[in-house]
Amino acid sequence: MSEAPNITYDFSEPRKQSASGIIIMFANSFQKVVRALALPLILIIVKSKDSGNLALILIAFLCLLTIILALFAYFSYQKFTFFLDEKKQEFIINSGIFSKTSLTIQLNKIQQVNINQNLLQQVVGVYSLEIDTAGSEKKEASIKAIDHATATILKQKLLSRDLSESETIDLQADNQDIESAPPLLKLSTNTLLKIGITTNYGASLLLLTGFIFGAFQLFKDYTEALEIEREQFTQMLSKGITVFSLCFVVVFALIIILATNIIRTFVKYFNFKIIKQKGALAVSSGLFTHKNVLLTPNKVQLSAYSQNYFQKKFDLLNMKIKQASFDSADKEDSKKSDIEIPGCSETERNEVLKMILSRAPTKGAELKPNYRFIFLQTMIWIVFPISVFALLSIYTLPLLRSYLFMIAPYIIVVGTMLYFEFKHHRLYVDEHFIVKKTGIWDVEHEIIEPHKIQAITAKQYFWHKAADVGHLIIHTAAGVIHFKYGNYTHIKSLVNYWTYKIEVSKKDWM
Amino acid sequence: MTEFTNETIDTDSLPKCEEVQLTPLNSKYWNVMLINIFIFLFILAAGLTTLLILNANARAYLYVLPGIYIVFAVLLFILYRASFKKRGFAVREKDILYTSGIIALSTTIVPFSRIQHIALDEGLFSRIYGLGELKIFTAGGSSGSLHIPGIEIDNAKSIKELLMKQINEAD
Repeated sequence: MSEAPNITYDFSEPRKQSASGIIIMFANSFQKVVRALALPLILIIVKSKDSGNLALILIAFLCLLTIILALFAYFSYQKFTFFLDEKKQEFIINSGIFSKTSLTIQLNKIQQVNINQNLLQQVVGVYSLEIDTAGSEKKEASIKAIDHATATILKQKLLSRDLSESETIDLQADNQDIESAPPLLKLSTNTLLKIGITTNYGASLLLLTGFIFGAFQLFKDYTEALEIEREQFTQMLSKGITVFSLCFVVVFALIIILATNIIRTFVKYFNFKIIKQKGALAVSSGLFTHKNVLLTPNKVQLSAYSQNYFQKKFDLLNMKIKQASFDSADKEDSKKSDIEIPGCSETERNEVLKMILSRAPTKGAELKPNYRFIFLQTMIWIVFPISVFALLSIYTLPLLRSYLFMIAPYIIVVGTMLYFEFKHHRLYVDEHFIVKKTGIWDVEHEIIEPHKIQAITAKQYFWHKAADVGHLIIHTAAGVIHFKYGNYTHIKSLVNYWTYKIEVSKKDWM
Repeated sequence: MTEFTNETIDTDSLPKCEEVQLTPLNSKYWNVMLINIFIFLFILAAGLTTLLILNANARAYLYVLPGIYIVFAVLLFILYRASFKKRGFAVREKDILYTSGIIALSTTIVPFSRIQHIALDEGLFSRIYGLGELKIFTAGGSSGSLHIPGIEIDNAKSIKELLMKQINEAD
């Protein structure tokens, strides 16, 4: 690849994707169509009685569809071009057969460039290149089929503004050197196993219930379509549930959850590596789909790490590094620009944080919430639901009365949870860092530097005025940090202090 | 409570946001708020009336429903009046701050160097009274943005000019 002439890497002329892009495009659209048509087609086949003609029609239809999709893929390949306008510092992607789209991205707006590879792309031997931008409107560009050498160089060109030809070659050489250098962090199979055992129960549970419901629904659809007597089945179901089998089901479910957890972790984080690269961090992982993300420290807005009881025993931490994301700053769900390190030891965490924040974060003076924090939560989660339940069972639904004894364990469980939530709700402040601690089971620490703050809000309910209690909301480009029920005088002095820090500091937030 | 480890700055001598003299919203903005409240109350009243006419069961509450409605309307007026009086903004040398809220009083500060873009909105009713709404956006999403209504349009324009100048200087 280093022998190839420089002309190959000239991006100033409009270029097409790799020819094998046709296959990728075809496969993508084929997959979509098959997904949309599969169930209706199956139902048509099952429901219709005469089979001879129908099969022929179906085969003809499928052939036609394939040809149309192939043509479509070919033309979209022909019309898809991209080029780099070095003078204007813009990257332009043109696409579309019938309606043409021209997407222009200014190079200085580019947040990160990711090179990924899914299963099919691995087979064909191409990569996809995705560009994340920091525009206030949602703009996202991706090139679906590109060979590795072109992708790497294009990525470098996109990220390093104004590079002359010679420098590019240097970079290329550097890149190869660095890739052979030992990684900053690498997850072994052993660590992955530990991660699988200790984390993400919630996600796996959701996935599993989703799957079961999906399967059940599908089963229902089919039995209806096939007109099978369903009564047999439901009878079998209702008879079978005894205490013993319930226990069995619970144990079985636990095993399944653990197994899915482990499998998920392996698929997602297999061969997880972090490599230092020219002042940036390159993160790569994945069993089937290779994911490759480049992280520039000064673009990181918020870093967080979390740990639960089991993880503590294994010296495992889960880290999340969030970059600016404009269209989804309000959403809580994890975004594409977030980078998750599923497991690392405390020393490795410190290494990574030192790299991002240029010094190891320190926990400064501790701020505790007022006892009113736990008071309100108790009202919402214990007093209110229990009184509703008690009233209902006494006056309207006597059936519920036999479950009244459940109140005691409920109070114990929820009370403990609330106590831990209160105990873990802390804010640590010093000159360089703001650290917010939260969580009930998974205890999370969110770290930001004062110059990453976008806006600050101090808030007080009028009935808290006398008690001098108030809330603090710190808005960053990667989400909001909320500290509740703090000492309001102190919060106000912090607000003044941070405002001062932002306005004096020459550091840009991005 | 222990203070910061930074000895070089006396945190007490920093400019205090709570002592800033806030500019109240233009008194004409109260009229705009009133129009909005009346429209809301009118729609609610229309809904209640149709319910009373169409649903025979609801007629049992013939006196209760309007009673609740009136209490609600009065409360709405009192709360909005209080909120109107509490609202205010201030443009300082290096930042802009806005105080608002009905039950909870919140003060948000946006430093000039963090402003992404600024918009000046003239709503239908606001325009009648020559008012505008200044919208200041940061990278912190909608929660980190300021929406200051009820500023006289010329005043709003000059604030916008000032902020634009400050942003460009920061670059």
